[in-house]
Amino acid sequence: MTGTVDLGVSTVHYDGFLPSGAAAVTPVLRWDRPAGMLTASGTYLRFESGHRSLQGLLAGSFLTPPAAHAWRGEFAASAGASRYLDFASFWHVVAEARLHRLGAERGLWVGGTAGTTSYGTAPRPVIAADVGVWARRSEVTLRLAVNHAQVGDTTYTDLESSAHAGRGPVALEAKLGARVWSRGGGRGVYGEGSATIWVGGRTAFVISGGRYATDPISGSITGRYLSAALRVRTAAPRRAFPRDPAVLHARGADGATVLRAARLEVHADRNRAVRLVVRVASAALVEIAGDFTDWQPVALGSASPDTWEVTLPVPSGVHRLDVRIDGGAWIVPAGTTRAPDDYGGDVGIFVVP
Amino acid sequence: MTLRSLLRAAVATALAAAFVATAAAAQDPRLGRLDPGTRPLVAVAIDSARAAGLPTEPLVQRALEGATKGAPGPLIVSAVQRLAADLGRAREALGPGTTPPELEAGAAALRAGAGPAVLTQLRRARRQTIAVPLAVLTDLVASGVPVDSAAAAVLALAARARDADLVEFRRAVERDIALGAPPTAATAAAAAAADARISQLNAGARENRPGRP
Repeated sequence: MTGTVDLGVSTVHYDGFLPSGAAAVTPVLRWDRPAGMLTASGTYLRFESGHRSLQGLLAGSFLTPPAAHAWRGEFAASAGASRYLDFASFWHVVAEARLHRLGAERGLWVGGTAGTTSYGTAPRPVIAADVGVWARRSEVTLRLAVNHAQVGDTTYTDLESSAHAGRGPVALEAKLGARVWSRGGGRGVYGEGSATIWVGGRTAFVISGGRYATDPISGSITGRYLSAALRVRTAAPRRAFPRDPAVLHARGADGATVLRAARLEVHADRNRAVRLVVRVASAALVEIAGDFTDWQPVALGSASPDTWEVTLPVPSGVHRLDVRIDGGAWIVPAGTTRAPDDYGGDVGIFVVP
Repeated sequence: MTLRSLLRAAVATALAAAFVATAAAAQDPRLGRLDPGTRPLVAVAIDSARAAGLPTEPLVQRALEGATKGAPGPLIVSAVQRLAADLGRAREALGPGTTPPELEAGAAALRAGAGPAVLTQLRRARRQTIAVPLAVLTDLVASGVPVDSAAAAVLALAARARDADLVEFRRAVERDIALGAPPTAATAAAAAAADARISQLNAGARENRPGRP
């Protein structure tokens, strides 16, 4: 199970209301298993007027096992509720079945949804159908979907497109859609974008904004917003587990000697040139040797007082290397996987995709 | 011992010496970094691997690694021979036509404890090269993930995941382990999340938009 908490501020302008600033806390818990996943999320919003809003969502999917053929079934359900002051409260419960046809770089799905929703009055039935396609190219995933829904006497059809791109610690997402037909659900074009920038493994900055359409199922009304948040991530269940000792100190390639620590970062580009960055405190000379240097020591250039780097052609695959600081013993840097080296010591292993 | 058997032994010795000398003469110039006693023995091991159709570059690199680390000659020879044997086992599991990087990664996976059946299953499950999936499998095992769990996760992703997806999956496991998650749980969770992301699954949670008030 993993969890995140977003602490953010927003400016939001719901249609028909005055613009307002708001502070938000959004915890999300996610439980992943090969047969499915479960997500629980909530948002507590406090507007500048002092009024508060609460939202909660529990959603899960059960998946048929991956198989040699390209078809896969998904059964999803979600239940959510929201409340603003004492006069606006929503809840919904829907179930969805999807049939996916999956390829390596593209896929499509067709799905149907049934459920019920309520806006402080008698529950209204929900019936919806959607069909979509997606394709991946390099780090970019594109989706296109058509969704037709009937919620009580409200009927609407949405066209949605989205793009997701991720590279290293940065993830970008954009969504553009249009409510092309509607009876009671409004029409218009809407779009949203977000950027998530991870700083280390635990913390990220999230910036998002845009305009979204009324969702008669969950009860959200059309609004424009701009948000900035700090996301803190955790992993649970937690327990005492030995961290990579190389982070604190480094063992020599002989497996015993305690030496100064070094951390390796591998940055591959499309031309098969790989930038190897070694971070080490107060060194005068940093060298690497590996199966891409014929195990000849190569001196790294100093990029800053504690950062040393070199760019070399390194083919895709699994590679072995060690690092040497100030002519000392060869060490296995953090950032690589330590493995026995056949010579009574260890070697660092890393993968270039 | 008769004169004839003595002659036979002398001829055999001369032939062996000639073979070693020939191998040494035709050896990779990079092996000049090995000491004179080790060089011909490594060259013979490499020639045997070449004759068996195995890639020789990993063997050269393993010998050079030993030289750089100042390992004794017999240890270098035995490391090269052992790697050659692993490469042979990997080819047996992966079949003919396997590329050198795949063989090298397969040898490392076998050394880490993966069974030949896992390599064979991976070959069947994935049309693209399996060098990176094998490397990720080895990497997970080296990080403390039990072989069965690591193999199940990589096999589940192998059919549709790209190399970059698998490396990202590996990073996610490493990150969760560093944050305190048990290796098996971290692997299962990261594999499921990667599977959902790759396959555009998890319809129920699609309402989650970051930052939307």
